[in-house]
Amino acid sequence: MLEKIGARRVLLIAALGVAVLVGTVAATNLQSQAVYYLTPSEAKAQGVAVGQTVRLGGLVKTGSMSSADLRGANDFRFVITDGSVDVQVIATGAIPGLLREDAGAVVEGAFVADGTFHATQVIAKHDEVYTAPKAGATPAHRTAP
Amino acid sequence: MTDTTIPRGNALPRIRPWLGIAAAASFVVASVMALFWAPTDAVQGDVYRILYVHVPLAWLAYLAFVVVFLASVGWLWTKRPFFDAVAVASAEIGVLFTGLFLVAGSIWAKPTWGVWWTWEPRLVTTAIMFVMYVGYLLLRGLSTDFSRRATRSAVFGIIAVIDVPIVHLSVLWANSLHQLPTVLRAGGSPALDSSMLLTLMVSLGAYTLIYAYFMTARVSLEIARQVRLWTT
Repeated sequence: MLEKIGARRVLLIAALGVAVLVGTVAATNLQSQAVYYLTPSEAKAQGVAVGQTVRLGGLVKTGSMSSADLRGANDFRFVITDGSVDVQVIATGAIPGLLREDAGAVVEGAFVADGTFHATQVIAKHDEVYTAPKAGATPAHRTAP
Repeated sequence: MTDTTIPRGNALPRIRPWLGIAAAASFVVASVMALFWAPTDAVQGDVYRILYVHVPLAWLAYLAFVVVFLASVGWLWTKRPFFDAVAVASAEIGVLFTGLFLVAGSIWAKPTWGVWWTWEPRLVTTAIMFVMYVGYLLLRGLSTDFSRRATRSAVFGIIAVIDVPIVHLSVLWANSLHQLPTVLRAGGSPALDSSMLLTLMVSLGAYTLIYAYFMTARVSLEIARQVRLWTT
């Protein structure tokens, strides 16, 4: 009986050791390799090839977004910026209601020869801040169109 | 279930109905607060209210898997069958809650992000967590020997828990789409209105009671099974 418990405790310590090891490896790999999107600067530095499918992430530049009635018209334009490099995006398909200027967005698609980015999927990013609207203001995104 | 199937001194069956009543009542209060009392969000509008389901379910799933971890350590250390009962009960509820919070997150993502699913770090690590604990439950079906099964699954339960902090921290480590933590913010106070925070805390309390209620029911069932196993 005592021997059995002893073996079990060795197993316990071994399991804890493996857990810490797996966690450390996973954590360091996630930090160094997981790339969900490139910033415009990173895309420029890496020299992403024309036609190569990538995700770009950044802020929608103020004043760059097409008017709302062009949403879904296959020629919806805006500029994705990270502050230093700007990329002109031409988006096809559905545009999320939450896509706003000066807010985050991730676009999937590829660069074309003239340097613009043709996005087949636009994903709006929202932050972790929640607050009631100021008196008289309408939420940027209304569930019912 | 008769009293003879429960080891003497087990208080679980007596507190269970009260837990059930408290869980149901607080769930009603939390739902009313989330749907009617909490203000709408300045950016997202009313769709943000799914936060009051998504976030508590996610936290309870984390808690459930930490309980699996602690119970697994308990079994390996003491060899008391009670710990194995707690581990399997918490793993099953954790898988249920993970599945539900993945669905709730997906329903939230479509009208805000614009996609049901995308392969970004938080979502991928959560999917891994879900699959790992489904695997944990499958592993438990591979052996009929009680002690061997409990030991194997305890080792798995200890190693698998490492994904819980990875899921939580994934949004800080990598470029992600998912927003950063709102309540447990690094170096700051919670980034939501006080009435929203109160609603979230009431929801968290309600889901914790639901978890506790499920646990008492499932642990009692598992203990009854163990007793039958020993006596036949």
